[in-house]
Amino acid sequence: MVSLVTGAIGLSVALLIILLVRKDRLHVNHGMRWVLIAAGFAILGFSPEFFDQIAAKLGLAYPPVLALTLGIAVLVIKILLMDIERSHIELRNQRLIQRVAMLEADMKKLRAKDAE
Amino acid sequence: MAVIEYFRAMTATSNNDRESHPSAVVLMPAFNEAGAIGQVIADIQAFIDLPIIVIDDASTDDTIGEARRAGATVLPLCTQLGAWGATQTGLRYAVRHGFDVAITMDADGQHDARSLDKLIRPVAQGLCDVSIGACTRRGSALRHVAWVLMKRTSGLALEDITSGFRVYNRQAIRQLASWRASLLDYQDVGVLLLLQAQGLRIMDVKVAMQARQNGKSRIFHSWLTVFYYMYHTLLLGLSKRKRARKYMNPSEITG
Repeated sequence: MVSLVTGAIGLSVALLIILLVRKDRLHVNHGMRWVLIAAGFAILGFSPEFFDQIAAKLGLAYPPVLALTLGIAVLVIKILLMDIERSHIELRNQRLIQRVAMLEADMKKLRAKDAE
Repeated sequence: MAVIEYFRAMTATSNNDRESHPSAVVLMPAFNEAGAIGQVIADIQAFIDLPIIVIDDASTDDTIGEARRAGATVLPLCTQLGAWGATQTGLRYAVRHGFDVAITMDADGQHDARSLDKLIRPVAQGLCDVSIGACTRRGSALRHVAWVLMKRTSGLALEDITSGFRVYNRQAIRQLASWRASLLDYQDVGVLLLLQAQGLRIMDVKVAMQARQNGKSRIFHSWLTVFYYMYHTLLLGLSKRKRARKYMNPSEITG
């Protein structure tokens, strides 16, 4: 039953992503990553034995630990990537604000020259 | 006064003959300094005839109007970028308009224009790329503790790391106008380490400083901002730490 719920969550998330891209609420670049994560959920739900086999090969006695650890690792990496991207956006924003201030000063000077 | 006269002459001829005559500009980041900025600009103008650029960091008072009435060119930032973001705007403006030397001063009247001659001299003589007006007597005990911690973690062998009274030459201006420098939030450790990493020479020059005419420090006014600032600066200093270069003694200045 738990497997079915997990699989259903995966499929629902994938559908939601497609809907968000369709409605222009989510950029397709970000959607690609989320669809892959949703696919992971679906695999975990509908084929739990897949994870069981990998866990057994890694020597893990309790397979769900592998899924949880992977999940947390993916989340941490995603949050880190978001902060890196945010830093880029802040940087570009700062450079733009500075350029607007410089252009405004130049424009004022040109207007004053024209008025003379 | 010789160096000031030299810069005055350079600026007067710079528009026609920029190649052979470098030019200088005074950059002044300002936030809500309407009460003091007019007098600060007048004091500078009485002493040195250089273009003064005020970078208004989204003030809510009439800083822009006061600065313009006093004869300064104003770069009005539409959103607050902080002291370093504002200073960097001025440095980018200096690059854009071909200035060779940039002098940065606070808008609150702390920096005495009469010290400019002493501060410009080592840069004009090619002894260093950046000179910092150092006044270690100023500031609270908290600021002194901050200085010690910042020097220890960053390895910077300079006396007054937080002073905004500086002279930059063309190489330094170009480095600090770059995208890389836009990632910095404060003008102290990060800026100095970036300059040092590029092989630029930084020198402390002892100057006298005055009490603020108006306002308060944007960092050293509350424990919370000090804590954030220290955590931020110490992490930056540790992550970018390099072997400290030999401290340049002000007594090396000649003339």
